[in-house]
This record gives sequence, structure tokens and C-alpha cells, in this order.
Amino acid sequence: MSRNTLIFGFGLAVALVAGWVGFPRALYVQRQQPLEFRHKTHAEKSGIADCSECHALREDGAFAGIPAMEKCAGCHSERIGESKAEATLVDNFIKPGHETPWLVYARQPANVWFSHAIHVKRAGLACTECHSTYGESDQVRVYQVNRISGYSRDIWGHSISRLRRAPHEGMKMSDCEDCHRRHNVEVGCLGCHE
Amino acid sequence: MKVTRRDLLVWSAGAAAGLVVTPVPWKLLDDSSIWSQNWPWIPQPTRGPVEVKQSACTLCPNGCGMRLKMAAGWPVGVAGGSSHPISRGALCPLGFGAHQLNWHPERLRTVRRRATTSSWSEAKAAFAKACSEGPVVIIDGYPGRAASSVLESFNQKRNGSYRVVLGRETRALAPYEAWSGVPASALGYDLENAQTIVSFGAPLLDGWGPPGRFTRLWAERVAGAGPQLRLIQADGSLSRTATRAWRWVPVQAGCETALAAGVARVLLEERLVLARGPMPPLTLVDAASQTGLTTDAIRDLARTIVAHPPAVAIANDDNPAIAALNVVLGAAGASGGIVRRSKPATSYVGADAAIPSARAVLIDSSVPWDFARQTDAEVFRFAAWDGGSSKADWLLPAPGFLEELTDVPTAPTSAIETYAVAPSLVKAPAEVQSAAQFLSSIDPTLTTAEKIIHARCEDLFRGRIGTLIGRDRTSVAKLDSVQKFEEQLWKGAVWVGERSRPDGLRCELQVWPTAATSARPESWSATWPAPVLPPLASKLYKESSLREPPERRNA
Amino acid sequence: MSARYGMVIDLDRCTGCGSCMMACAAENNVPPLQQATVRTGLTPMLVRKVSNGLEGAARREAFIPIMCMHCEHDTPCVKVCPQQAVEVDKATGIVMQMPQRCLGCRYCMTACPYHARYFNWWDPSWPAGMEKSLNPGVAVRMRGVVEKCNLCHARLHEAKEKAAATGKREIDPADYVPACVEACPTGAIRFGNLADRNDPASQDARSPEAFRLLARIGTEPKVYYKSKEAWVRALAESKSGHGPETGSEVQHG
Repeated sequence: MSRNTLIFGFGLAVALVAGWVGFPRALYVQRQQPLEFRHKTHAEKSGIADCSECHALREDGAFAGIPAMEKCAGCHSERIGESKAEATLVDNFIKPGHETPWLVYARQPANVWFSHAIHVKRAGLACTECHSTYGESDQVRVYQVNRISGYSRDIWGHSISRLRRAPHEGMKMSDCEDCHRRHNVEVGCLGCHE
Repeated sequence: MKVTRRDLLVWSAGAAAGLVVTPVPWKLLDDSSIWSQNWPWIPQPTRGPVEVKQSACTLCPNGCGMRLKMAAGWPVGVAGGSSHPISRGALCPLGFGAHQLNWHPERLRTVRRRATTSSWSEAKAAFAKACSEGPVVIIDGYPGRAASSVLESFNQKRNGSYRVVLGRETRALAPYEAWSGVPASALGYDLENAQTIVSFGAPLLDGWGPPGRFTRLWAERVAGAGPQLRLIQADGSLSRTATRAWRWVPVQAGCETALAAGVARVLLEERLVLARGPMPPLTLVDAASQTGLTTDAIRDLARTIVAHPPAVAIANDDNPAIAALNVVLGAAGASGGIVRRSKPATSYVGADAAIPSARAVLIDSSVPWDFARQTDAEVFRFAAWDGGSSKADWLLPAPGFLEELTDVPTAPTSAIETYAVAPSLVKAPAEVQSAAQFLSSIDPTLTTAEKIIHARCEDLFRGRIGTLIGRDRTSVAKLDSVQKFEEQLWKGAVWVGERSRPDGLRCELQVWPTAATSARPESWSATWPAPVLPPLASKLYKESSLREPPERRNA
Repeated sequence: MSARYGMVIDLDRCTGCGSCMMACAAENNVPPLQQATVRTGLTPMLVRKVSNGLEGAARREAFIPIMCMHCEHDTPCVKVCPQQAVEVDKATGIVMQMPQRCLGCRYCMTACPYHARYFNWWDPSWPAGMEKSLNPGVAVRMRGVVEKCNLCHARLHEAKEKAAATGKREIDPADYVPACVEACPTGAIRFGNLADRNDPASQDARSPEAFRLLARIGTEPKVYYKSKEAWVRALAESKSGHGPETGSEVQHG
């Protein structure tokens, strides 16, 4: 092989490694959730059977998302367990009266309107369709944020090439469009944008 | 082996080729496009569950019903309260920016003594000292509130005076007070039953009384719902009300007295009314020349006015000639005219009346900024916003929009008694204090405004009359506890009294009044008590040239 | 649901108070920048004053609220946009502008026959703390993009969400009321589904006093006006003649 080919190949190799391995590591930075919340513990120990017991629709149809501290304080106004996470919750947030600053995996830009009421109640989608089995998880998922765009890695999807993705991975506009196309629901720009 | 420039170029070519088949350029494109739309300096709205609260606007004595969207404790949207029986879901244009006023750049947040920053304790000490040295005059721009009661009773114990600044709608009722003994604060305009309204320059469709009251009534009648309503606007220029009126009578500005006299003369001479006097001294010819109309035009106007009774004349100030015209028309104390709406009422002394020499003057935050008094006394000016250079010795930061619990007495012009409450929905900044709170802290024997509000609710509940109008209508007699009464009031319901008999007002007038007032033409924003406009209003009016920007006020 | 939302504005009832402008600006998080002029302003709802051109006792004036007319046919802005940042929504007829997709070429502003589109010349900013009072339902735009009236689509979203939460298929018309309609103290602005013959707005639009601005150019605007006064109707159709009365020359660019 000629010297030029070798050097070319060398450059190619460096770029491939940097692009496929280095780039995702550099692009995303990990952030800690304020405390280690365990869905499984709550499902098992407190008999909370359904997602909607905490993640509910309000009267006006708006979705509560991650419940406000008020919801947690319903049971945790004092410590009822022994975990460090609960201690953090009660001491740092419930007692002083601050909202827990959760990092939201699915946060969309301000100009996106997504209605849980329409997707869950009218279309009958199960929570797991988009949020997979997170409700049964034993530990709080790692939150990674894209340094440039500022959004969670969950929006693009874990796979940097968007190939071989898990069924629930990705919450970009194209993912919404794909599902809408599959189910033949036409919405236009007005349907999803503020 | 030497690394040549060519090597570098070949290496770079390889790297570039490689990069293209990595996610780097594509992902970077996508991410940077998002990055470029997410500048950190672009403000984002408050996040949080949205609650809807019903309350009342407290920026002026009209107390229009208001519906507020609240998120995380902050007001994020404003609309009229549709169930309010007087304002009927309408707000003035400035009301739509009211929720932003608390952050106006001119918001006062610290106590100021002339040009320097001071403190509440110093202000209190100075005021207490002033009270001990001489009489104090207290000026209130929104009489009838519980806070007003505190202001008044403070002075009752000392040798001071309590004065009020009344809006032009109430000032226009002053002549009837002189002729009947019924205080102007107990009178209202029974517009709902009128069929002909002659307005002498009063901007009925543009900021007179609670905006919704007349605009809704007029719009309904114009559309044909209910008995006919003829709005005749006698105006020097084509004002907004004049453009929409059924008829515009173009008179020379300032000639309302002559026009009223001319019309009264025709009504009496041609026996178009039941009254037989008092006859104005002005002849028809003189009236015509002063107003710029022909004598035929005045005759025609008089006949038109009585063609569809009941008719009522509305003045833009306390011009007694127009009130006298109402007496001639039979509108004083009749359905469709000037009516008495409540039993006991206070006779207020206007702040225009001679103020005895005082040691200090305390001006409540409800007094319009352009209220200026020439005085040597030490002036303690409460205000939530700074309207410009102030001649006040002390500038004291007061609560702004919905930052303190206050009650809403009957709106000026209303023909029925109402009562409502505006709870404190917005957290007040740490340093603010209202005049009533200030006085209560100096004299702890004073009842607080909050206690007075509860006492008033108790009185209304025990009276067993009237209706609570909110989401539903509930007769007070059907409520079983004062707590239920208060609960509804705190949620934005309005207590409405019963329509009183209009003949509760009897005017004695033998001679046509001669005293005339100098009608000072007021700009559209003159009755707006806050010295500043919501920033959206100044921006929009400028960009649309729809209104003249108000002059900067100085006090 | 296939609706054609539109408005009928009764000019005999418009008093030019400006409540609609204020409510629109507050609802849409329009920044209260004070440096704009009539040319560079941002007023998705704009009330203009017109007159019959006479002076003295014969003078007549009226006020005309102007906003996006939501043209149904050959919509000019849709045709010229290189970014497809605006489209006529199939389900509602609302001409939906996406400021986030706009690249700011302002071709649509030139194309709009009604001068109803506005450019964000500056980044939005509010006095310190005032951003707490922003409407959470509407995204804040950055500078360099065009925006216009979207018939308060955020309120449509809220109505849809409420309908879905309560198990209904169609929205309750009382839940979807644009800010200007709600604010008007004389009820001059009437809003409704023009495709529904029983809708009061639709009936108003078919009344003999109803007219549209520049009807002759064929864009089929969905905002109608109504007046019993002949001079107002004549003004709407005049090829030349008395334009809006403003303090300075108005040329939107």
C-alpha cells in the first residue's frame, strides 16, 4: 500500500473513531437528578398501581407531568422510610417548601404542544408506548443533556446514528410524524405547534 | 520519516471523508439549528399548573370583575369577569395590561425622602411627629373601601380632615346633593331604563363608569335587543362616543351650559315636559349664538330628546345647568334618570374644597397622580408607581395590583348597590405598605381594614337582602352562614342589593343655577389613577396612532 | 372536525378603544418594546381610524380592526414562503404561521395585501420580573421572524385538550374564544365557524351589510366586516381615496 493510502486510511480511522466514539461522549454531559427516585419501590410498597395516580390529568385537561411536591408531601410529609433519597426529599424540599428541580427527559421546546389528554384518553395510547417500562424501573435513569442544544439525550434517542433504536427511543418531530403517519392521523402544523 | 505538508493534506482528506460517514456533521447541524433558536436571553413564561381565579380590578373605583389566569402564583392572563352584574365581562383597554403593572420600571419599592432613600421607621417617626404638632389632612382617591374607613377614623380622633378625590361621574352628581340633601355617593344613573340619553361631552362609550356597563347596554340596544336607546352626544369634537352615537350634536366646546339652558327653555316654553320651571334666564337666540347651533336646531334637539322617554342628561363635570335640565326633564328621581340607590350614605368633602392649613398631608395611593395641591405642609405620598417628579416630601411604596386584600364598594354611576372583595392574589414585594396599614401601625387602636371587611360581610349577611352573583345566583336569605357568604365573595362573587325606588330622590330647584364650572377637557387617561400605563398600552397606542400618548404626570 | 373559523366585525359597534389590541398583545406575549414606530411595530391586532374625508358637522369616522384575514383561496403568504413556515390548516381554516420555521426573508409581508404581518425587529425583552406574567400557552419568538394573528390557536389547543379530558369528540365553542373577541366591550367582534350555516357568525357573514376588505382580489378572506353606513362600505371597496388616518404616513414594509 502506498504511503498516501496509509495516511489517508489513518485520517479516516481517526475520524471514524472520533465521530462514533468520541463525539457522543463529548456531546452529552451527565447530570444528576436531585434524588434517587425508585418507581418500583412506590409501585410495590405503597400499592400505587397505575401511572395516573401520580401522573394525572388535571380538570382542564392539562397534564401534571412530574407531580408537584404537594403530591409527594401527601405521603412523605415526614419520613416514612429509611432511604437517603427520601431524607433528601423531606429535608431539602418538602419541609422548606421548594419544588424538587427534576430534570425532565421528555422536555420539548416551548413551541411544541403535546396533549396527554388527547393521546391517552382519546387515542387510548398506553403510557408504555412512549415511555416504555420506566414505570417499573428500579433506579432513576441517567439524565444526559446535549451540550449544544440543551435538550435531553432522550429526544434524539440514545443511538447517535438513530439506527437500531429501541421502539420508544426518540421524541423528535420526525418520531411524532412517523407515529401519526402509521395511525393515519393528520394534524398539520397547527395540531402540534404553539 | 519527515511529515510533509502533503501528508497533512492527505490525512485531512481521509479525516474529512471519514467525518462525513460519522454522525458529527449531521448531528452538529441539527443541534446548532436548535441552539440558534434557544438564546438564553429570550425570556420564557412561567411553568406550572394554571389556575383560574375570579376577582375584581382594583386600579380604579369602578372595580370591574376580572378573571385571572395564575401560574405558580403569578398572574399570566387577564380577562373580564363575565358574571359581574355591572361590568359584564368587559375591562378597559388598560385593564388588559394590569397584570404586568407590578413590574413596571417605575414601580416604587423603597421609601424615599426627597431624593434620598429612607425607611419606613423614619417615615413613621416623621408622621407621628407631624400628627403631634398640628392637624393632618388625609386625601383618599377611592372612598368607600374598608381602608378608607381606617383613613377616616384616624383623623376623627385627631384634629384633622378627611378629603376625597371623586371621579367625574360622581362629581356630576354634586348638584343633586345640593338640591336634595342626598349625598352624591348615594346616587346613580339608571341607564338601563332610559330610552334617550343626552350626553354633554361625557365619554359614555370611552371610559365612563365601568366600561362594560354602558358599552354592553348600548351594543345590545343598537342590535335591537330590548327597548330602543337613543344616544345623543353633544360634543365639541368628533369624540369616540360621538362617532358611534345615534346623533352627534356639534356644539362649541365649553358651551354645555348654554346648550342645556337653550334646551330647557324650549322644553318649558313648548310645554314638552310636566315641569313648569325653573326657566333659564338665557334666551334661545343667545343660546344659539353661544353654542354655534341655530335656534331651529336647538328646538329640534329638545323635541327629539322627549320623543322617546324616559330621557336623561349626563354631564361630564359638576355643571349644575345640566343637572337643572334633568330636573326640568323630570329625570331627577325617576326611573331611567338619576336615582337614589342606598339608604345611609356619607357626604364626602371633596379635596378641591379649601383645605385648612395643615401640618402634614397624607395622600393615599388611590389618588390620581395629577392631583396637585399647593401646600406648605409636609406631604406623605403613598403610591405604587412613580409618575414623575414629585413635590412630595415622602414617597412611600404602596401595594400594587392585587397585592393586598381590599374590598370593592359600589362602582360610581351604578343604580344598585354592590359589594365585592379582591383578595391578595399576588405576593407583594417586601417593602410595601398601604396608607391604612401605615396608620394602623401608628395607632394600634384603629380597626384594621381586614376586620372591617369581615364586619361588612357580616352586616350584609345579616341584612338578608340581595343576591350573590358569581357562577350561580344565590339569594342571601338562603345562605345559612356568614362563612358561606364570605367564601363566595372571596371566590369572586358580587353581592348585589335590591333596586331601590327611584323616587328616593327629590330635588327642590326654584331658580335656574348660575354657577358654572370651568370644564377642563380631560385626556382619555386622566381618570386612570395609576400614573403609569401598562407598557403594552403605551407601545400599542404609539404603534397604531390610535390615541395620543398621555402626558407625563407631575405631582 | 372540519371547520372554517372566521370573524365578523361590526364596525357600527367598534368604538376604537383598543381593548382588542391590548388583549391580543397580552395573550400572544408581544414584548412591550417602546422603540418601535408605526412602521416597525408589532401589532397582530391593529385598529385603524378611517373617515369620510369631510370636515365639520358632516364628518364621520369609524374604526377598523385589522388582523390576518385568514385568506382561504390562493393565500398570498403561503404561496411565497420559501420555508413553508405558513400553511392553511385543513381542519380549521386557520392560516398558521410558524415563527420558529421562518427565516425572516419577509417576502410574506410584501405579499400580504392587508399588511397584517409583522416582523420581530428586536429580541423580545420585558422589564425585570415582568416575564413572570407571560402567557405560558404561547411560545416567545426571537428576533428575525415574522408573526401574525393565529386566531389564538393556543386557546384552541386548550379547548381541544379540555374536550379530550372530558371525553368529548368536539370542542365546546364557548371554550375557544380568541382574546380580541373576549375583550371587545361592545361585542363588535364575532367569532365562529363560517362553514356551519347555523353558527351566528356565519349568518352575520351572509347578511347584506357584510363585506370584506379587498374582496375583488379574490383571496377569500375569512374576516368579514359589517356596517349599515354606506360610506364605510364604499371605503372598503374604493380603489383610491381616503386611507387610514394616522399621525404619520403608514407604509408597512
